[in-house]
Amino acid sequence: METTAETTRVEREVAIAASPETVWEFLVDPEKAVRWMGIEATLDPQPGGRYRVVVLPGQVASGEFVELDPPRRAVWTWGWEPGSKGTVPVGASTVAIDLEPTDAGTLVRLTHALPADSASAHGEGWEHYLSRLAVAATGADPGADPWLSR
Amino acid sequence: MDAALKAIAAPRRRDILALVHREELCAGDIAAHFDVTWPAVSQHLTVLKEAGLVEERRNGTQRLYRARPEGLADVKAFVEAFWDPRLEALKREAEREEKRKHGDDG
Repeated sequence: METTAETTRVEREVAIAASPETVWEFLVDPEKAVRWMGIEATLDPQPGGRYRVVVLPGQVASGEFVELDPPRRAVWTWGWEPGSKGTVPVGASTVAIDLEPTDAGTLVRLTHALPADSASAHGEGWEHYLSRLAVAATGADPGADPWLSR
Repeated sequence: MDAALKAIAAPRRRDILALVHREELCAGDIAAHFDVTWPAVSQHLTVLKEAGLVEERRNGTQRLYRARPEGLADVKAFVEAFWDPRLEALKREAEREEKRKHGDDG
């Protein structure tokens, strides 16, 4: 089905010398998730379950798990919780991670569809989400993030 | 960058953008696709144009509009820049975990 809703799509790949099972733990286990995603995570890995990661103090990525097929595919909605601006992004975009077993380990494919669909992507939330993301992204290294200095 | 973000914040403008991505259209054609007034479409087009997401071409008395695909490149680059260091961290941590597991086995 073709819709006009998807503005753009970001696709990234990374080869990891670890089994899909090991990589999978990093997607759904809160303790492991914070080792690459943020400083605090609440994850309820079932369809409709909560996805919430404190990326930095006061900067919270939030959504719901949509699809889980361990250890192959995880999909969740993604947006930023209201910060000082008080806007309410609702499922503004969708992140999908596919794990493909290889001889050397796992090929990880991340697809961030922006926004997921116009029904759930409220304009103001989307703007808020993207602005925050843009600010975050200017400091490529999550260890030295410009959000902290704002 | 800010202008592009603001421009695509409105679902209607995303719809217009998708429409003129497929073909070059005049404002009237664009308005005909939606349940909105011509001035409203015209205003959306101005925002999209100023954000560099749409380009305008004059053909006689007609003004034609077409999406500039490179207009969204910045947005895409920012999203990529958000994920790249995190995926690198995922790689580092998952590989460390895998080694630890094998260490336990041996």
